[in-house]
Amino acid sequence: MSSSPLRLLLDFDAQYRRDRDQTPAFLHRRDRRLALVREQAGATPPSLAEWLHAVGDGRHHTAPLRHWRRLNGGLVLAGGVLGVLTMLGLLYVTGPARINVTLFLALVLVQLLLAVLTAGQSLAGWRPWGALLDRSDPDQPAPALRPLQPQLAGRAAQAGGLAFAITALLTLLAQILVRDLAFGWSTTLQTSAPAYHGLVNALAWPWRGWLPAAVPDLDLVAQSRYFRLQNGQPADPALLGGWWPFLVMTWLCYVVLPRLVLLMLAQAHLRHRARRLLRDHPGVAALRERFATPWVDSGDETPAGAPLATPSPGPAPEPPADTGTLIRWAGADDRDRLRPRLGEARVLDAGGAASLEQDRDTLNRADGGRPVVILVRAWEPPTGDLADFLDDARAHWGAATPILLQPLATDDRGLAPWQRFVARRQDPALQLCPPLPADQEAAAP
Amino acid sequence: MTAPPRFAVVGHPNKGKSSIVATLAQNDGIAIALEPGTTRDSHHYPLSVDGHVLYELIDTPGFQRPRKVLAWLQAHSASASDRADTVRAFVTQHRGDPRFHDECELLTPILDGAGILYVVDGAVPYSPEQEAEMEILRWTGRPSLALINRIGEGDHLADWRAALGQYFQIVRDFDAVRAPFDTHLSLLRGFGQLAPDWEAPLEEAVTHLRDQRRHRQHRALGLIAEALADMLTHAESARFNEHDNRDALEHDLARRWRDRQRRREQTLRRDVEALYRHRHLHRREQQLDWDGGHDLFSDQARRAWGVSRTYLATAGFGAGALGGAGIDALAAGHSLGTGALIGGVLGAAGSLYYGGKYADKLGALKLLAPLAGGGRQAEFGPVRDPQFGYVVLGRALEHWFQVSHRNHAGRDPLTLDHGDRHWLEQLPRPDRQRLQKALQNPPRHQSDGKRRQALEQAVENAGAAFLVWRETPSD
Repeated sequence: MSSSPLRLLLDFDAQYRRDRDQTPAFLHRRDRRLALVREQAGATPPSLAEWLHAVGDGRHHTAPLRHWRRLNGGLVLAGGVLGVLTMLGLLYVTGPARINVTLFLALVLVQLLLAVLTAGQSLAGWRPWGALLDRSDPDQPAPALRPLQPQLAGRAAQAGGLAFAITALLTLLAQILVRDLAFGWSTTLQTSAPAYHGLVNALAWPWRGWLPAAVPDLDLVAQSRYFRLQNGQPADPALLGGWWPFLVMTWLCYVVLPRLVLLMLAQAHLRHRARRLLRDHPGVAALRERFATPWVDSGDETPAGAPLATPSPGPAPEPPADTGTLIRWAGADDRDRLRPRLGEARVLDAGGAASLEQDRDTLNRADGGRPVVILVRAWEPPTGDLADFLDDARAHWGAATPILLQPLATDDRGLAPWQRFVARRQDPALQLCPPLPADQEAAAP
Repeated sequence: MTAPPRFAVVGHPNKGKSSIVATLAQNDGIAIALEPGTTRDSHHYPLSVDGHVLYELIDTPGFQRPRKVLAWLQAHSASASDRADTVRAFVTQHRGDPRFHDECELLTPILDGAGILYVVDGAVPYSPEQEAEMEILRWTGRPSLALINRIGEGDHLADWRAALGQYFQIVRDFDAVRAPFDTHLSLLRGFGQLAPDWEAPLEEAVTHLRDQRRHRQHRALGLIAEALADMLTHAESARFNEHDNRDALEHDLARRWRDRQRRREQTLRRDVEALYRHRHLHRREQQLDWDGGHDLFSDQARRAWGVSRTYLATAGFGAGALGGAGIDALAAGHSLGTGALIGGVLGAAGSLYYGGKYADKLGALKLLAPLAGGGRQAEFGPVRDPQFGYVVLGRALEHWFQVSHRNHAGRDPLTLDHGDRHWLEQLPRPDRQRLQKALQNPPRHQSDGKRRQALEQAVENAGAAFLVWRETPSD
């Protein structure tokens, strides 16, 4: 289960993207079921982490963070090495030269400014090195991570800065331990020892109350001033080493601690932004809606049968002129369009509203020695009643009597069931005639 | 717990039984397979809410030998009191008889307690030939309702009503292909009137179906807003080397950009169709009339769904003024509305400039930062023409309207239909300005919550206005 908001955001976004390939119906059913299970147990709908645990694949999708992890590691390493080198460079002196405290304080100020600027760009969502970082990342950042780039960059920079500050401090302590460092102060500005003492006293404000040994006194400040063109030795060389507690505390309070605090702030800001992004994620509102909306299933997912294959129609004969009987099936009537073509054919009725006795009577009265035309409505599919009638007709008239089904049709669409019907009967003397155009009035009984 | 009501949809073959089930069960697969007289087995379509079945529709085969069945029943019944038992005896005796397979299939659920929904075609004249079927159903003694479906153009409803009234408790007209959604619900309420115990579950079903429709509308408009944001912000990019032909690259990127926008529109359509359970509609997509001569980038599309320059200037002024008013608010009113005025003028000027001839100002090639390995990144898009958003939105709303108002029994291809009045007339002026602003400032990424919500709200309002426009008859 994801606990970090950033990881939760990435996991949720990955699941959201996978879900886009699912049907809305499936998603609704799945999530509503989860909410109902919780509801039955008397609990509220699942949290996002619980939901991910239930529907996800159990893996964390933190691959998009790999680039940032590498960058973080690189910056921490670079910061650490640079911290050592910078402090060694600052403390490097030869001969009787002194290490300028003013220069040290300037470096502290620069570090503090850099830390604050980094925090500012992160808060403002600005990415001054964005293009450079993008070029170092061959993959496109994950969409969910894109708006977090300034915060991720800010956190990485603060981590690198903290590594710089800590290794520089350790280097300073090591140098103090193993070398005889002589500190002094020097500046081109016309300033007096009391004024400089006021400055260091003000800088020592955070610890002067509880660590007075780390606050240089006026005597030390006055005696440790030097000028580049003055060759005189200090009155008491041992005194000059007395600056180190102040310098260590200054570095600790104005470089290490701000970096640490700002790194924690950057982390908190990142988590806060990730939480907000998760809250505003388009998938979250949709998910909550699915939790709350009943799943209505109207049976729409029941698979329907496949359409039937229609045999290709064979050559369709016209009703022959020597037709002996025209049977109007189930009230089909062409009025006067077909009968003149059939000469003296007898016209009978069967099917539909006619009784079974009337059907039998029709079979008896029909001229089974000559072709029989059965007029049917093409838009009404053939029924079992007609199949029974044809069976009885065959039994009555014999297998050789040509029987022609003459459909009345308004279009060709209704013919397929009739073609299948004729093919299914496997009766060589049963044929389907070309459809005869019908109007609705003609179709009336 | 009592069993949910069940309704067997029965009738003569090819009178629209499956169409009615397709519409009520929202399953266009039934309509696709609908070949006259091909239903040989009963199919059950339950309506369930969170797994709890409220009612069930049963699609049955049509009567094949009603006269023989009735003759058997009459021959085996001694008095009116044994009719239901005689029908049961018929089914018991003929269950394995292939000649009466269809009759057994359709009578079994009725004998098991289902209500009867008898379907006839009101487009053809009343014929006494179906009286045998109605008589058999009357013999079962089950609650019954007759539905007069209209498959063709004829109108014989009055005759059918008079005849059916003699056999069935309730007679209703229902056009499975064209009946609006409210009529579906009204019909379901009618089912509930067949028996006292059935009224509550049917009423509950109606409530849930109405909520489902509201939910779908909200989701569909959300999908449209998502697609709009995507299409308005999309850009195609490529590497541009020093010796490349700039015009050729621009032409290629523009073509890719347009193709991608067309594909995105198709994806939106499929999503909306899936939301409304029209899963078989896309099979006929090539027949869509509006894709032939109505390409997304055609002048026809622009004429149908674009807006006039005056409209653009007015809405652009309003949208700019909305932004400028923010500056006035920051100045606590000391700017005397200057911010709104300047914003409005800038908005109107921008809309006028980019709102020229459609497709000419959709986008232009931009050369961006140098790339590692040489060359520069070239980009086409995002779109600059404010008309594009209106065209996409109008087409999407029209498609949504067609799909959401299409019954699942419908088999005709979708056709683009638009009147001679522009739908935006129905949108109140403040909503027009919000829409213009949202189209000008689409969300650039998914976490751009504020802009996304503004666009979603604007599309929601537009959808409501579009519904009013489409449902209001033209003067």
